[in-house]
Amino acid sequence: MRTDMNRREFLRYQMNGALWLTAAASGLMLPGKTLAEGIPDIGVAKGKPTIATRAAVELLGGMKTVVKPGNKVLIKPNMSFDTPPERASNTHPEVVRELAVMCKEAGASRVMILDHPLRDATRCLKASGILEACKSVDEQMVHMITDASLYQETKIPNAVTLTTTDIMKDALRADVLIAVPVAKSHSGAGVSLSMKGMMGLIYDRRTMHLKSLHSGIADLSSILRADLAVIDATRVLSTGGPGGPGKMIRGDTVIASKDMVAADAYTISSFEWYGKKFKPSQVRHIREAHERGLGRMDVENLNVKTVSV
Amino acid sequence: MIFFRRYSQIISLSLFLFLLAGAVVSDTLAEPDFFLRLDPVLAAVTVVCGRFFIWAFAPALVVILLCPIAGRLFCGYVCPMGTTLDGGERLFGSPPKKYLRSENLVNLKYLILAFLLGASLFGLSLVFAVSPLSLITRFYGLIIYPVISFFADSILGIIRPAADYFDMRSLMYAQIRTPRFATQLFILIFFVILFALIRFCPRFWCRYLCPSGAMLALFSKKPLIRRRVSGDCINCGKCIRSCPMSAIPQDIPDLTRHGECIACRTCENVCPVDAVAFLGEKGYRKNKKSDSESHRDTQREKIGRAGPDHSPHKGKIPETPFSRRDFLRAGLLGAGTSVVSLTGLNTPHDKAGEGQVAPPWLLRPPGALPEKSFLARCVRCGECMAVCPGNTLQPIWLAAGFTGMFSPVLTPRRGACDPKCNRCGDVCPTNAILSLPKNDRIWAKTGTAVIFREKCLAWEFQKSCMVCDEVCPFDAIDFKREPGNPFAVPHVVEDKCAGCGYCEHFCPVQNQAAIMISPMGALRLSRGSYEEEGKRQGLRLSLKSKKGTYGTPSESEYPEGAAPGFDEAPGFDNAPGFDNAPGFDNAPGFDNAPGFDNAPGFDNAPGFDADVKD
Repeated sequence: MRTDMNRREFLRYQMNGALWLTAAASGLMLPGKTLAEGIPDIGVAKGKPTIATRAAVELLGGMKTVVKPGNKVLIKPNMSFDTPPERASNTHPEVVRELAVMCKEAGASRVMILDHPLRDATRCLKASGILEACKSVDEQMVHMITDASLYQETKIPNAVTLTTTDIMKDALRADVLIAVPVAKSHSGAGVSLSMKGMMGLIYDRRTMHLKSLHSGIADLSSILRADLAVIDATRVLSTGGPGGPGKMIRGDTVIASKDMVAADAYTISSFEWYGKKFKPSQVRHIREAHERGLGRMDVENLNVKTVSV
Repeated sequence: MIFFRRYSQIISLSLFLFLLAGAVVSDTLAEPDFFLRLDPVLAAVTVVCGRFFIWAFAPALVVILLCPIAGRLFCGYVCPMGTTLDGGERLFGSPPKKYLRSENLVNLKYLILAFLLGASLFGLSLVFAVSPLSLITRFYGLIIYPVISFFADSILGIIRPAADYFDMRSLMYAQIRTPRFATQLFILIFFVILFALIRFCPRFWCRYLCPSGAMLALFSKKPLIRRRVSGDCINCGKCIRSCPMSAIPQDIPDLTRHGECIACRTCENVCPVDAVAFLGEKGYRKNKKSDSESHRDTQREKIGRAGPDHSPHKGKIPETPFSRRDFLRAGLLGAGTSVVSLTGLNTPHDKAGEGQVAPPWLLRPPGALPEKSFLARCVRCGECMAVCPGNTLQPIWLAAGFTGMFSPVLTPRRGACDPKCNRCGDVCPTNAILSLPKNDRIWAKTGTAVIFREKCLAWEFQKSCMVCDEVCPFDAIDFKREPGNPFAVPHVVEDKCAGCGYCEHFCPVQNQAAIMISPMGALRLSRGSYEEEGKRQGLRLSLKSKKGTYGTPSESEYPEGAAPGFDEAPGFDNAPGFDNAPGFDNAPGFDNAPGFDNAPGFDNAPGFDADVKD
């Protein structure tokens, strides 16, 4: 994924760092604010979808810090409902397009936008507006993957419940994985953000409900760790998720982080869900991910930079 | 001229396959069921059984009306079944020279026709077993189509790496979903037998069995364009041996059973003296009479036979072994079979009522007529199943009794029935499944979801599963909190449920789902608007298409502790066990739907509603 470190090395590094993670979880070490002030952990941009997306990623140092020339990039939006962008159950097409443009600018050799829908693929592509929006970037970049042969059985090391699952081959082969979910509630997982969104990259998501949804999401995020999470909170589906219709909040915000857990955590604490405020720790998969050291949910200790554009 | 026939056959079969394949891949083709509506027996039996006539059957009428003019052109030049069997002959080898040929069997098909029509008098449609177009559509749609998809998918798998290398994305991400069908074995066995019979006798099916051919034969006793034999005939018998239809009686080559003749003109082609002609006088070589006479004489000498003038049967075709009485008997047998089947346990009653036994999970496609008319009209061609994008429509074998063989049922475990899709109704040749107006489609309720709490992940296993709600296009699943369960559990809102089966299809519980569609409340109308009827019955079917609204939810919508998926106890430092935070959801009023508050004194009166103020 990162060019200086492949996914396997990265995972190994993460596992070796368990001690550090425990320390972080218990709050003994608070390294966030001590790191370079220039590059925040979380970049937040308020404004219209396209410019806010660019601004949020720029806050993190720009797309070139994520995508190196020649990289194959996989962008994973929410586009598995045949509902229009106004329903907030799919990612805003302009957010997705802008990311694709930025990846191209950074020199990516191939940018793919893929998902595994629950409904009729053609209709989801059409209704979500993502196919149409991205046509100007590349006619052939948006696809739905439903064929089992395009997935590969993959063991998840150190998994708690989801020990093995079939992961989209494109996701396994990509140099860079970018999660770009819409901020929405989810009646099973509490919220559906970048971690939950990874369920769109596996073949059989039913098994996850069969076992334990929350720890399954954490397991999945341990192998499908996005290099960049960009959360489309331009409108937030605060009730009725994942499919809606529900009560929406005008967020006009795009939240970016190289830490999926932090991006999700920040999104949870930034908006009301079901008319109430929640802490990230109240969403079990976020809490589990944090405890397992997959990322940090203690946003109060992280360096957050906000701009209005 | 034989080439013209081959071309016509190939073009016709290609068109048939094009329409079928076109209907499978797109919904833009007009009249994908055109060929089915050419089949005279399919049309006739459906009209008699269904007690209705629609102009959709006009093509069959044209085929019949063409018979007095040109005979059974349909059989020889158009019928995809005939072409397929001819193709099979080429593929599996021609029959030996001395093949099984019995002129006695020729009339078997009339008996079959009589049986079929006899049965249809009482409303039993057996076309599915013998109508050539029904059989061949089922063969291509339910056997060949999946096989082709399977191979195409395998080939895609092989070329994908190359496509990846050359960055050919449309090829890389091309995905072919291979449909799967039930009852394949029975369809296959039937066709294996048909193809095997060709080994014994060309066009065995068309010669001896096809009731559509029989019906056309009745109208082709002496068509205007027919086989004529001139006096040049040398009685060599070549035409008799090469005729694929037993249309030329044994030893009488100058006579023709016109009803059996499919005008293939093989006899014209093989005749060594050009004595056979179909189109007027052209073929007689009248102008070269002297030539042909000498030619004839040499030919006669060669084979050492006399001309037909010496034939003992002159001018008379021998009697067939079946008498008029036999046909009557076959008709009566058909009527009898029909009556017996009507007294069968599974046969649908006129009115749904007491004592109707039907398979508990038998779900008919949306817009299917009331069961009895449905079975009377459905010709089991399999077109609806082949085009069903969800592959949920499956043929059944004997699950619904003898009369329901090969009829389509929804199989939600295999696939959901898309509430915006009406492909089955669009392609149905007999309107057994109605093509519904756009507004009516979602009101064509096919059943109602039922939850098996003892299998449900949320109810029984206390897991965070809400898949049925997530996938429901109708918003017909409500999640509510139960005391003692950390997660909300599903309830079906019956009047919002259309029975589409998304819930059953996606339910993570293995094998039999924990939520299943029962035919309960299915709407089956023979006329009128589904929307009106649905509303009249108080259904509230609507797709989750309304726009979301901006704003915060009202307190009553999400009372304290009711945010699904969130843990109650704040702070990640909490010890395990916080999930069972007590007192979690019994906020007053939460369980009570507005308008159902119990007025004191009334709640215990059985059958009385609570006092609701206007």
